[in-house]
Amino acid sequence: MAKTKIDDINRSVYDIKNKDDYDYKIKKGLTREIIEEISRQKNDPDWMREFRLKALEVYNKLELPTWGPDLSELNMDEIATYVRPKGKMASSWDDVPDDIKNTFDKLGIPDAEKTSLAGVGAQYDSEVVYHSMKEDLIKKGVIYTDMETAVRDYPELVREHFMKCVPVYDHKFVALHGAVWSGGSFVYVPKGVKLDFPLQSYFRLNSPESGQFEHTLIIVEEGASLHFIEGCSAPKYNKVNLHAGCVELYVKDNAYLRYSTIENWSKNMLNLNTKKALIGKNAQVDWVSGSFGSKISMLYPMSVLNGEGAKTEYTGISFAGKGQNLDTGFKVVHNAPNTSSVINSKSISKNGGKATYRSLVRIMENATNSKSSVSCESLMLDDISSSDTIPTNDIRTDDVEFSHEAKIGKISDKTIFYLMSRGISREDALGLIVRGFAYPISKELPVEYAVEMNNLINLELEGAIG
Amino acid sequence: MVKLNETPIRTCKNYNINEIEFDEKIPMKIKKFENVKIAQETGKDEVIEDFKPNDFDIKYGSGLIENLKENYNKSIRINVNSKMNKDIKLEFDFDEKNLELFENIEIVGNEDTNSNIYIVYRQRTTGKAFHNGLIRVIGNKNSKISVTIVNLMNEESSNILSIDGKLEEESILNYTIVDFGGKTSITNLYTNLSGKESQNSINTIYLGSNEEKIDINYIAECFGEKTSINMEVQGALKDKAKKNFKGTIDFKKGSKKAFGDEAENCMLLSNTSKSISLPILLCSEEDVEGNHSSSSGKVSDKELFYIMSRGFDKKSAEKLLVRAKFNSILETIKNPEIKGEILYEIDQKLDK
Repeated sequence: MAKTKIDDINRSVYDIKNKDDYDYKIKKGLTREIIEEISRQKNDPDWMREFRLKALEVYNKLELPTWGPDLSELNMDEIATYVRPKGKMASSWDDVPDDIKNTFDKLGIPDAEKTSLAGVGAQYDSEVVYHSMKEDLIKKGVIYTDMETAVRDYPELVREHFMKCVPVYDHKFVALHGAVWSGGSFVYVPKGVKLDFPLQSYFRLNSPESGQFEHTLIIVEEGASLHFIEGCSAPKYNKVNLHAGCVELYVKDNAYLRYSTIENWSKNMLNLNTKKALIGKNAQVDWVSGSFGSKISMLYPMSVLNGEGAKTEYTGISFAGKGQNLDTGFKVVHNAPNTSSVINSKSISKNGGKATYRSLVRIMENATNSKSSVSCESLMLDDISSSDTIPTNDIRTDDVEFSHEAKIGKISDKTIFYLMSRGISREDALGLIVRGFAYPISKELPVEYAVEMNNLINLELEGAIG
Repeated sequence: MVKLNETPIRTCKNYNINEIEFDEKIPMKIKKFENVKIAQETGKDEVIEDFKPNDFDIKYGSGLIENLKENYNKSIRINVNSKMNKDIKLEFDFDEKNLELFENIEIVGNEDTNSNIYIVYRQRTTGKAFHNGLIRVIGNKNSKISVTIVNLMNEESSNILSIDGKLEEESILNYTIVDFGGKTSITNLYTNLSGKESQNSINTIYLGSNEEKIDINYIAECFGEKTSINMEVQGALKDKAKKNFKGTIDFKKGSKKAFGDEAENCMLLSNTSKSISLPILLCSEEDVEGNHSSSSGKVSDKELFYIMSRGFDKKSAEKLLVRAKFNSILETIKNPEIKGEILYEIDQKLDK
């Protein structure tokens, strides 16, 4: 039997390190004084300052999760929770400081903006450095800006929704986020407005021993439609960095939102992100998620189907390589009649990586005539990796159709043999099989990400071993 | 309140599945359980009553093993020597005078033997009984052991059972478990498949009614090469019954060419019954194949309509469908008396 070797993700672009050159960096740790100082630095309104302090109290009361990956190496005394980059937020790339602009150039963000996006936000460390949107969308009443501007300019809208979908007591890292959040994007799509091109926010963490805590708040009004893309990366340092962002999605009746994410954090990152959507009557949210980077990820996007006829789909892939422990999955709560969910998850583990699929499907008493279908597949590419599936299915009414299936295993020798008997080399056969395994996910990604993902899955063969 | 039946790996505590909270009083210093019937078709196997068990050290268990160790009131050891595949029957009948049973049953399948063992817990009287049992099974090389465990306790009682098995090379252990009784019924089953090419199958049917709680926690660890584990669980819930099913297949490093399959189906016969399932696959070995599937829902309208169009009323049609779902597992029970008793109990429970 042959052993296959899949290369680690080529991180040369993502690992570009700029000098840790900032305008302001808060001292490490997490105290009331530090939170008050962040609030002062950000010119928070009173309600936000109080909110942060309350979140800190909740953080101090909550325990670390008793399940999932070991988070004992996280020491908040060693993390700076706020780093303000040099320069102010610009609406032209020419006004962004050169080293920061160069980084985003290499990540391809300005090019993508020109060719395939309706708007772009770019965050560097704790603050958004660039934000822009096409003029015609502004005229239609679409708002796409950084969260700080939204807090200042749309206070009622923000206050009505901010951390109402994801309350601070959900878990410890949401409480942490509530206390130290900075940056992120605010999107408001008015009733009936449909965006033809996606909006994209890119989050880049450059500063070592720091955290990024961006807040994304999206409101898609009745009958409106949006595709939002989120990208994240960071260069690798020797000490732990922390990402504890929060995404809140309000998708009103008959609206549609597609939320695509490619997370490609560095291998020293603890990625403890929280994402949740509240979905109205006959509305739909589709999640497309690729998790490639980070040392540890605990990431379980969630859809709450609150309106009759609401739908959600989750399509996700994770790729756990050496030293990585990616604990990912999806949660859905059916909370109204005639709702439906489709979950399709794939994971690849290799070179000692650990991939875990963890999920929840909960169908409430009132969710009659609902349907849920879950499929997860795990592929192990060597015998030093591991792969677990831990799905919870909680069905509270009889009038449902629920099914779940999962598979775990290696590449079938028979399949390789079959392809080779057609004149395909072993290397190409393995490449075909792995790309075929990932195809149902990659076809859902925006095309530039799909190409990137296929490049990331770069197969190599390392001889035949008995 | 104690936490019982903990899963080998935890998930989010808000999912309410990592363990079950048990707040009933656990009896202490209990008297001997008298209503035990033992029968065997061949005299070759040794059945030793009231032996002194010296080993309660098991890897998982329900969580009440220490309590059992201190208070057991019945112990039976079966040494299987026969190759004839003859029946051995152990029947425990609860009544007004025998309401507490804490038993230790040890089954040793010696090399190259074949056995078929029935263990029945029955309660035809009213009254709250408490059962806390441990069944240990050791399958030596090339042995084949079939164990059928039938719980027919009444709806007031508590049934807590730990089952622990260890399989040597080329041994086969088949469990058939019928879980119909108890206000609370908690089953923990662990199998260690350390022997090369050892096989374990677990076929379970459960039926919950009224406010019964059923908590099932099956764990199989594959250590040996070419080992095989197959779990099939079919159940039905009516009224306000609740069921937790937790099934773990753990492929350990070295279990090359092992195979594991886990399938659970729950029929919900009322809109107030609740089903939670957690089918876990853990894998540290590349060269294995593991599958699980889980489904829940009401009885198919089309199937009901078809049967009712043949002149059956809805209740009878529903009963037929439940029996049909259970049938493949019931077919593994060869003893006609025990099978008849189970079929009667299905009808009784569904007719209420």
